[in-house]
Amino acid sequence: MNRNLMWRGIIILAVVAFAVLSGWPPGEEINLGLDLRGGMHLVLDVEVEDALRAETERNMQRLVRELGDAGVPGVAGERLSDTSFVLTGIEPEQMQTLESWAEDELVPNTWRFDREGDRVLFELTAAERNQIETLAVTQALTTIRNRIDQYGVAEPVIQRVGLDDTRILVQLPGVDDPERVRNLIKSTAFLEFKLVDYPMGGRSAASREEILAHYNGRLPDNVEIGEEVRRDEQGQVTGRQYYALQKETVITGRDLRTARPSQGQYGDPVVSFSLNAEGARRFGDVTGENVGRGLAIVLDEQVVSAPNIRSRISDSGQIEGRFTLREVEDLSMTLRSGALPAGITYLEERTVGPSLGRDSIQQGLRAGLIGGGLVVLAMLFVYKLAGINAVVALVLDVILVFGALGMFNATLTLPGIAGIILTIGMAVDANVLVFERIKEELRVGRTVKSAVDSGFGKALSSILDANVTTLIAALFLFQFGSGPIKGFAVTLSIGIFASVFTAVFVSRFLFDLYLSRRQRVEKLSI
Amino acid sequence: MDLFRDTHIDFMKYRKIWIVVSLAVLVAGLIAIFYHGKLNVGIDFAGGTQLTIKFQEQPDVDRLRTLVAQAGFEDAQIQRFGDEDAHEVMIKTPLVEGGEEGSREQIVQALAAEYGGEGGQGLDLNEAGAPAISSLLTQADPEGLREPGADDFAAAEAGSHYAGVAEAILEARREVGLFNAWEEIGRVPGVTPNVLSTLRSQAHLSDFAVLAVENVGPLIGQELRRRGILAVVLSLVGMLIYIWIRFELRYGVGALMATIHDVLICLGIYAWAGFEFNLTTIAAFLTLVGYSVNDTVVVFDRVRENLQKNRRLPLVDIMNQSLNQTLSRTVLTSGTTLLAVGTLLLYGGDVLRGFAFVLTIGILVGTYSSIYIASPFALLWEQVFGAEARQKKSSAKAA
Repeated sequence: MNRNLMWRGIIILAVVAFAVLSGWPPGEEINLGLDLRGGMHLVLDVEVEDALRAETERNMQRLVRELGDAGVPGVAGERLSDTSFVLTGIEPEQMQTLESWAEDELVPNTWRFDREGDRVLFELTAAERNQIETLAVTQALTTIRNRIDQYGVAEPVIQRVGLDDTRILVQLPGVDDPERVRNLIKSTAFLEFKLVDYPMGGRSAASREEILAHYNGRLPDNVEIGEEVRRDEQGQVTGRQYYALQKETVITGRDLRTARPSQGQYGDPVVSFSLNAEGARRFGDVTGENVGRGLAIVLDEQVVSAPNIRSRISDSGQIEGRFTLREVEDLSMTLRSGALPAGITYLEERTVGPSLGRDSIQQGLRAGLIGGGLVVLAMLFVYKLAGINAVVALVLDVILVFGALGMFNATLTLPGIAGIILTIGMAVDANVLVFERIKEELRVGRTVKSAVDSGFGKALSSILDANVTTLIAALFLFQFGSGPIKGFAVTLSIGIFASVFTAVFVSRFLFDLYLSRRQRVEKLSI
Repeated sequence: MDLFRDTHIDFMKYRKIWIVVSLAVLVAGLIAIFYHGKLNVGIDFAGGTQLTIKFQEQPDVDRLRTLVAQAGFEDAQIQRFGDEDAHEVMIKTPLVEGGEEGSREQIVQALAAEYGGEGGQGLDLNEAGAPAISSLLTQADPEGLREPGADDFAAAEAGSHYAGVAEAILEARREVGLFNAWEEIGRVPGVTPNVLSTLRSQAHLSDFAVLAVENVGPLIGQELRRRGILAVVLSLVGMLIYIWIRFELRYGVGALMATIHDVLICLGIYAWAGFEFNLTTIAAFLTLVGYSVNDTVVVFDRVRENLQKNRRLPLVDIMNQSLNQTLSRTVLTSGTTLLAVGTLLLYGGDVLRGFAFVLTIGILVGTYSSIYIASPFALLWEQVFGAEARQKKSSAKAA
């Protein structure tokens, strides 16, 4: 066997070996898409307006309070939008004080303020606005990551979509109860502890009117009404209780050090929490001074329970409220991961259960084997011995496709499997082009050797031209398609390259190998 | 075996008739698109929710429709999915104002009321995940593994044992999609009679399970539409440019006509058959376009080669010759590709059925068009705008 042949053979074997190593066993080496493995694909939008609004509100309250301390009392604040508020009730002589105070206290380039008569209008600057929005998205990202981490999903994908977008992409393979995960990600879990102003002793009022009556029809500025909804085991509402709460929070979720599921005194599921140093100090002070009052535990602005403070509590406690075990676990997880800085909307969701995914794989494999088998038979029938050449090329194509998938860490999706099957059908095209040429050359009267040579030579330009157009289609499909479609574009493209390689290089090699072994070849089985 | 040795079929002879026939079929196809009243657009582009649900027994579709309508979705599409004995149903609801998160919750609630199974509270073993089942078992401790007095639910040994049992139960469920009876759970390794009775008393089995959910909000739907159109337009432009570079304009026109012909006819048949139009459909059509141009290019390649060899012969004859020479290849390649996509159509499952349908019809039509449409159009272009025509005009003027 001549050297040229030997080198070509070695190259082919090397390529095949490499492909086999990269792609076998397919179960382990190849990334399966969510549509085959089962899992969740979510695109979330972070409602940054919430964060903006919260910041505006917070600054407004702070300004009013600090202005009062700094000698400008009697100022009232009213929020106008998510990014602006107005302060009213300012005496003309105090305007100067206010302006110089604002210039000193407010961080430069965060708020703009304009005087309008006896009102001062405050508005967030664009720069600060961007800052807050970006921070909100980053925080949401971290919080969601924490929650998913705690829930325990293998190989999650959680990332921002685009640079200045408010969207987050979440991909979780192998999730068995998507409902729970959906709620877990979405729950804001904003925890606040507030003192109950009325009624005392851990009791509650039966209606808002009862509370209003206590305050003679008008709530003081520092009091708001909180509602507790009581449900039974089926989740049906059994009653509502009301409390007058002091607006200023004692501690929030941020002061927690840990939270975990535990058992309450009646054996019911509760969340047991402990506070960090700062929170513990404040908690101790407030509870110590307010024995006999109720302490309302407010979650997402709903009162969960309001037990009576019997004595000073220092650094730990329990949150109970007729929770189920699962609710307690989820609550612990979300408390530990932190509250979401803003609300979340699901823009897109695609969840596939694992059983569907398995069905798809089975069907794909079956179609592939049957289709492949039929094509092989056709090749052998039409081209006889040369058909074996085509069959070998076909088998190599499939091996190369899987190898490339493994090597590039590409993802195999269901349309991707269709792409492989399509490739099987189309791969023989290159071989057919060559074989038909060879037959023609033989008919014209050339010798076998020169027929093979010119057959390959003339067919080459056709092969290239023909496959370029399909490649163009695959390219744009990859660029603009969704996940599963990208998988199709990938397998189709790899398949095309593989089939050109096998038709031009491998088939040629096999022909030459066959011819080199024989002294004189009169006929070709083709 | 020689399929078509030395054929001398005069393909171009009746080309005018074939063009007319094709135009007629094309118009019929365009009309067929609206046969059902409107295009069956999938949620990828129109937005909305699509649920795949498996039931223990084949549900009455009308009953489902009523339930879903009661939940507020009157124009829901409900149809069977998958094999006969799979009892699977697909429910599709369109976008609702203000309901970007889709109809999943409402529909599941509506179904739970009717198909929720007995013992409606507590964990649904057809829906819960391994952690939830594991917690339930660890708390109830049917095997008595927890030390008395420990109040921490994550008591190490008991916890990990029950976690293993829960995972085994889940693995069994992943296989079948839905537990039909408690006996199935009883057969799972690790589920002792104690465990089973705990599960029976504290959890329940609903009669249905959601196998898949797809929800596309309005924003995303818009984007997918835009991207789909871009993909199609840019691909077509790209291919045209490529052909223009490799061949002359007249061939580009021929290929373009053949492709448009293929796409429109396939589109008509596809819509008439009632298939859904979504992203995968676009992928199928783009592939079809690639394949169709592919086919046409091979013929033109041969024409170009023959032209160089026989400058004397009129274009008609050269085209005929080329068509005959490539006939074997055309039929064979179409044949094998048809074998592949045909298998996909029959055995590939419901998700890919539309995709395979487009390609199957497309290959048949595409082969026809490569022979009877592309070349005649190229010839027509040449006769009207080509070098010969210009020569005749200028010599007519001179005379």
